[in-house]
Amino acid sequence: MPTTLLLFAPIGLPLLAAVSQATGGGRRWSTAVGVATSVLLLTAAAALATEVTRSGPVEAAGGLLSADALSGWMLLVVGAVALLVFASGDRHGVRRNSRWYPIQLHLFIAAMATAVLAGNLGVLWVAVEATTIVTAFLVGHHRTRTALEAAWKYVVLCSVAIALALLGTILLYYAARHAGLSGISALDWSQLAAHAGELDPAVTRIAVGLAVLGFGAKAGLVPLHAWLPDAHSQAPAPISALMSGVLLSVALYAVLRVKLVADAALGPAYLRTLLLILALATLAVAAVLLLTQRDYKRLLAYSSMEHMGLMALGVAVGTKVAIAAVLLHIAGHGLAKTVAFLSSGHLLHQEGTSQIAQVRGLLSRAPVLGGVFGVATLALLGLPPSALFASELGLARALAADGLGWVLVVAFGLVLVAFAAIGTRTAGMLLGGPAAPVVPVDAEAPALVGAGVTAAPAGGAGSTVPAPRPRASESPSPARPARVDLPRTAAIPLVIGLIVVAVLGVTTWPLTDLLTAAATVAGGGS
Amino acid sequence: MTAVIASFAQVTMVVLGAPLLVGVMRQVRARMEGRVGAGVWQPWRDLRKLFRRQPITPVGTTWAFRTAPLVLVGTTLVVAATIPLLTTTTALDRAADLFAVVGLLSVGTVVLALAALDTGTAFGGMGASREMTVLALVEPTILVAVFALSARVGSTNLGQLVDATLHNPLQVMSPASLLAAAALLVVTIAETGRLPVDNPSTHLELTMLHEAMVLEYSGADLGLIELAASMRLTLLLGLVASLFTPWGIATSLAGLPLALLAFAAKVTVLAMVLAAAEVLLAKLRLFRVPELLAGSLVLALLAATTSFFLA
Amino acid sequence: MIDHIQALHLAAGVFLLTAVGALWRRQLPAKVRLLVVQGVALAAMIGIIGAQRADLELLAVALGLGVLRAGVMPALIRRALVPLPQEQRETRPVVDVATSLLAAALLTLLAYAVTRPLVALDPTPITAVLPVAVAVVLIGFFTLTTRRRALSQMVGFLLLDNGITATAFLAAGGIPLVVEVGVSFDVLLIVLVLQMLTRRLRATVGTTDLNELRELRD
Repeated sequence: MPTTLLLFAPIGLPLLAAVSQATGGGRRWSTAVGVATSVLLLTAAAALATEVTRSGPVEAAGGLLSADALSGWMLLVVGAVALLVFASGDRHGVRRNSRWYPIQLHLFIAAMATAVLAGNLGVLWVAVEATTIVTAFLVGHHRTRTALEAAWKYVVLCSVAIALALLGTILLYYAARHAGLSGISALDWSQLAAHAGELDPAVTRIAVGLAVLGFGAKAGLVPLHAWLPDAHSQAPAPISALMSGVLLSVALYAVLRVKLVADAALGPAYLRTLLLILALATLAVAAVLLLTQRDYKRLLAYSSMEHMGLMALGVAVGTKVAIAAVLLHIAGHGLAKTVAFLSSGHLLHQEGTSQIAQVRGLLSRAPVLGGVFGVATLALLGLPPSALFASELGLARALAADGLGWVLVVAFGLVLVAFAAIGTRTAGMLLGGPAAPVVPVDAEAPALVGAGVTAAPAGGAGSTVPAPRPRASESPSPARPARVDLPRTAAIPLVIGLIVVAVLGVTTWPLTDLLTAAATVAGGGS
Repeated sequence: MTAVIASFAQVTMVVLGAPLLVGVMRQVRARMEGRVGAGVWQPWRDLRKLFRRQPITPVGTTWAFRTAPLVLVGTTLVVAATIPLLTTTTALDRAADLFAVVGLLSVGTVVLALAALDTGTAFGGMGASREMTVLALVEPTILVAVFALSARVGSTNLGQLVDATLHNPLQVMSPASLLAAAALLVVTIAETGRLPVDNPSTHLELTMLHEAMVLEYSGADLGLIELAASMRLTLLLGLVASLFTPWGIATSLAGLPLALLAFAAKVTVLAMVLAAAEVLLAKLRLFRVPELLAGSLVLALLAATTSFFLA
Repeated sequence: MIDHIQALHLAAGVFLLTAVGALWRRQLPAKVRLLVVQGVALAAMIGIIGAQRADLELLAVALGLGVLRAGVMPALIRRALVPLPQEQRETRPVVDVATSLLAAALLTLLAYAVTRPLVALDPTPITAVLPVAVAVVLIGFFTLTTRRRALSQMVGFLLLDNGITATAFLAAGGIPLVVEVGVSFDVLLIVLVLQMLTRRLRATVGTTDLNELRELRD
């Protein structure tokens, strides 16, 4: 297939889907369109990946779009996560008659594909900014106070971050102009890499620092991270899944691209130090705040922040092993976090609350849902055979080999803290006995109901009051059945996603060549 | 010789003309407000009345209270003799340095504040603290604003500054000059206690700054303080006029009468404009005064950075 | 008369003063008016650079940017203004006005310090004005972080963006047209999004004071 078509397809297909959704159609039609688009996207990504592995980087549109092994890997992750989201057909939390929702969703995927396939820092910037704009309304979809607060914070913080990245881009353009490049090609990746030695160090240092801070903030790194827990917890579950699973990784990909230019121009020490500081700070903030979480969607959001901190650590080290670990982590985290968020969407729909303390005994009440959620959390915690175990092991090896032993100790200490926080809370949600048998309504019931109702406000805030609890949950809504589980249509894609994560943890066939090529592109030397 | 005569002329002119200037301002305000007004010589009549009265010193005050009016008038006279109002080389030319002049003006204010604290009354303490807040923001502003002008000349000597503007009149239109002029106007209003910072004719607790400090003075002491206040107003207006519109300043003995007339005209025009603005503006609430002064400090700082980095 | 460099300095001075003014004024409509003046100053700066280089494309870009930054965007922000009196003034900001003004002066000095390597790379009279643009960026950032009204944050964001655009044109004579169009379009959409969110805020929460949004805390 001609490479130009392969480059335009991942962007054009979601755009076409968005246009087709504009004419309306029911939920089944949108699901079908979504699944079809993501299957085609995944196929195009696979074809592109084989092409670049075989014959090197490809270009189109005068250098505006380009793909190498690194973009190929990222595009595969985007496609896989999109497919998972559409296939599970989860529209819980989405307003029934929202016409804009599918259009915005497809525009979101198109913007992410453009960012990954950008051959030019300017195009990358425009695409990342476009993701912010498109997701602004997706985050504020529910129109409640909290959703609006989250949406406002998200838009303002991300726009400021992206504005900083724009300033960095402009200063880099200034330096490139001075090194003899001109026009649009002055921001081209290959051109910048070729002329890196001629870029003025002082200006480049400021430019690259600003760009890393800006794109890093979009990836959830400290200091402009405050939008992340709010946006990811208030958005509808499929949107949270896409944002946590892919958008953060795409922003990190932008940081990685900037790092490649910076290392060639300034030497690796500058960004290494900067990214190490940002990564460790992010890990610290995430680990500490995870200890106080009471809402499971926020818990998952902070877990994303923790993982982004780990990935940023890998990017900071920058060796081939480290980058390979980061790419594997991107893939594994993308899929596992998507499964976790999608199942949390079902959980929210079923339980009606997002408070951890009010969800108990999930495994006994809804085994499939509890099982999927539990296995996804175990995968995220980095237990073997999850891909995250393999990638964290690789990251540890890379840190040790690079002489950053103390960083290794601090980072994995913080990961341990996060492990404890997430583990205890998830165990609390999943484990526990089945609900007590329903007491027949008779003369005793009013007193019991009274006790249950008065116990509920006292215990409802989050403490565990075991005895009256089953009655308290029965009496207000006796019509709710004790077992509502994940429907098979939703469960199968999620289970397949988890299986892929497990398989990736054991072997990277058939993607080994792609992974090696991508790591070589981004990892330079060893 | 010219310098000595010029300084003498400056001092005499300021001492004699300052109450007249205040009278002109009050008359302009009265006419604009629709009143007949007391006439331009009223401040002189008030001063004559005050000097004939016996001053009363409150019980418990010390030398600070008694010497404040004298120090105030003394420093103001020195400044009158120093700054270039009629010529660019006055007798105390070497003291006509920006920092020295601002320091002398501040000494006057501080001495008055100390006297107010010395009286031990509530009004005195309140007036002193408010005046110090204003001074803390006004002093850096004057320094920075005139510093901005001096960056081009390379010296902080006020005489040389005026000289440079005389020889190169177009540089008054540069952004640095305009910003510095704006800042200095705000500072003049604040330093001399005119609206919208302070109302010189009020004795309400909520609105007094300068008046609160001199509440305990009477007789000749009060007369001296009133005279000093009007002299400071004349001097500051004269400084602004010399720095930005130096036409008519004498360079030789023969030009002194013309310089006198020119100075009188410029300062009177400025005072009339100020009086008209006072009628139209309302007094700022006290907690807004630091905002205005901070704003003028920002303007002065911008003037300084502009003149340093863009000239 | 005045040559190009003096005109550039005048426009840059107005550019910076409107930024300081937006920090100073309390009334929200006054802030939007200052933004309009700033847009005109920005267009004037770009136009002067274009006139000096006799570059028609740059003049066209100046005109377009002037229409956008002085006309379209302030109009959009004005649409987010609620016509009620209690919504027209800034509520008590995190840093009070006097301290904000002093901070603005410090930020200007900081901008001069930070842009020294930038000016040193290409010392021309045009790049000497770079610190003013960076100062406006910093003042915009400060406004964004210390003001509580939704509209003030939008004004701060626009100040930030005007400063970045000015940097682009002063340092490198503009960015490639493709990127420029993309950037302008993106910023326009962001302002539109913020305006719509402000209206939703007013409808749902009842006020545009962002301090009332306190539910998402850790």
